[in-house]
Amino acid sequence: MKKFLVLLFISMLVLSACSSGSNSEADADTNDIKVWAWDPNFNVKAMELAKEAYKEENSELNIEIIENAQDDIIQKLNTSLSSGTTKGMPNIVLIEDYRAQSFLRSYPDMFYAVDDAINTEEFAKYKIPPTSFEGKQYGVPFDSGVAGLYVRTDYLEEAGYSSEDLQNADWEQVIEIGKAVKEATGKQMITQDPKDLGLLRMMIQTSGAWYLEEDGVTPNIANNEALKEAFRLYKEMIDADLVKPHADWSQFIASINNGDISMVPSGNWITPSIKAEASQSGKWAVAPFPKLPGMESVNASNLGGSSWYVLNIPGKEKAAEFLGKTFGAEGKFHQQFVEEIGGVGTYQPALEGDAYQAEDEFFGGQKILSDFASWTEEIPQVNYGLHTYVIEDILANEIQKYLDGENLDTVMDNAQSLAEQQAK
Amino acid sequence: MKRPNKVIGYLFLSICAIISIFPFYWMVVSMTNTSADVTRGKLLPGGHFIENFKNLLQTVDLVPALSNSALIAVGTTVLSLLIASLAGYGFEIYRSRAKDVVFNILLLSMMIPFAALMVPLFRMFGSITPMLPFIGIDTLSAVVLPTITTAFLIFFFRQSTKMFPKEILEAGRMDGLKELGIFFRIYVPTMKTTYAAAAIITFMASWNNYLWPLVVLQSPEKQTIPLLISTLGSSYSPDYGMIMMAIVIATLPTAIIFFFMQKHFVAGMMGSVK
Repeated sequence: MKKFLVLLFISMLVLSACSSGSNSEADADTNDIKVWAWDPNFNVKAMELAKEAYKEENSELNIEIIENAQDDIIQKLNTSLSSGTTKGMPNIVLIEDYRAQSFLRSYPDMFYAVDDAINTEEFAKYKIPPTSFEGKQYGVPFDSGVAGLYVRTDYLEEAGYSSEDLQNADWEQVIEIGKAVKEATGKQMITQDPKDLGLLRMMIQTSGAWYLEEDGVTPNIANNEALKEAFRLYKEMIDADLVKPHADWSQFIASINNGDISMVPSGNWITPSIKAEASQSGKWAVAPFPKLPGMESVNASNLGGSSWYVLNIPGKEKAAEFLGKTFGAEGKFHQQFVEEIGGVGTYQPALEGDAYQAEDEFFGGQKILSDFASWTEEIPQVNYGLHTYVIEDILANEIQKYLDGENLDTVMDNAQSLAEQQAK
Repeated sequence: MKRPNKVIGYLFLSICAIISIFPFYWMVVSMTNTSADVTRGKLLPGGHFIENFKNLLQTVDLVPALSNSALIAVGTTVLSLLIASLAGYGFEIYRSRAKDVVFNILLLSMMIPFAALMVPLFRMFGSITPMLPFIGIDTLSAVVLPTITTAFLIFFFRQSTKMFPKEILEAGRMDGLKELGIFFRIYVPTMKTTYAAAAIITFMASWNNYLWPLVVLQSPEKQTIPLLISTLGSSYSPDYGMIMMAIVIATLPTAIIFFFMQKHFVAGMMGSVK
């Protein structure tokens, strides 16, 4: 027994002694490219279209698309990258724009720059700061996440309004319409998860502001006029009982599909969920995202949106070339992306394509894709920086105090100091 | 005087039972409903059972995930029962002050959350992968190995061993049994119910294990059932009816095992030796 233990101990020592070698077993000239993405109906499907389109270019490349939940991808990436082990890592991974900077800053050597594969000038400008780091371009910008205000035209009409009244509107005007609609139909204006401040994020981006300064690190809360205005408007909506609370995604979708609310301010990726309730066809329209009143602000914003990243492992050149020639070049991929998925990309030459001109009967014949594409070009550029979700957790708590009647400046000062402690 | 007390007692217990059974009821009912009905909160069975089942089979490879989970759970259970019971037996039967110190340190390790161990553990597996690819990252053994024994299980066996009559050991020795022989021929059969309880605990923990399999298993064909269910929810418009179907299927094995071994489980928790 003792001999056995000694043997075991020695073999463990040997194992740990020779374990410092790197993962050199992988073939540097591999033709197998692995991709991680979430959502089978949008991201994964888009990647499949790109894979098909690329076969004409290089039929040798074997692309395997693996579907994982977004949170799972983050967990797996963080564990692998922080332990410096790239075994089993994909060549291409989808990362949400809000999170990209923290990955790029924490593991700059683990990502492969794609400057040679794409021309950044050809993409929507607002996508570049989140996807680049220290002057190098790491992400291949993908979907736009352009925001719009989805409205129930039938409810609006009952209150004597139409979607025309929401063109180039600001939030004060929208709230007035929301109140009138509630009076006429009894339906609240929007539905909101008290812990998810996506609405505030969209609001402040219309004026080019964010939770952080332009350096992407310093919290910008106490003196952030756009954020204060967004807080004020949110409280106004709550006080007027225009907001129906929901606790999770399924309730969010249910409120929309059940016709409980008159408006949905969201990213364009919500379109399929809205169209899922076929009986509401013809009763919806999409208006430009409302701007903030009384300050410099445009009728365009963004929610979510993600980009493709190439990991610095064998196969990186081929992976970058594949992305460059599909997502970053003109070709049939973009056309199919629009026609088959209804997605709005950020590769600008393709935004002019015929596919975007299609009329959508569900939205009363509105050319929603064309509208989304034109709003995409106007989205103000901001640096999402490192701590979007850390700060959002703080704000989600603080905003409750404000809604309960505490002074706005006190709440903001408090959030600022909390953010300075936690976001480093 | 006793009757009103009893009524209140039963009322309280009934409420508790409803609260704990309701999620199961809702899960089972939801697997027969459409996604829209689930989000609407429909509480009665619907007619979409077959459709949800078909969708599930078309969307994912259920069988490989089930067999991966089963392999991992059975492997973990067999190995950890063997190792933890040997350790618990050793700590209690061959007591010494030094061993008690080791045991206390072992107990302290229960306080370290797994999330803190994950990165070093992953690194370890990453570095042995080139030499021993069969137990490295992206293998089922890599899921089993770090979980084959836990401080809790050793503690559980040691506590049960305390009630084991030491005289039997002496009798065994007199009859010429070696120490390992005593363990396997006398201790193991006597402690059957303890093993049953430990088996249920380990099997369930392993079957439901999420975090470590998530990071260490990379290829889709190695996915376990909890990972598969998580993937089903990755969509912006999830099909809840189908997801509930998958969850029911994932719950069945643990439920069946629990019902079969329930009697032993209760006895094991109370102590094997009466």
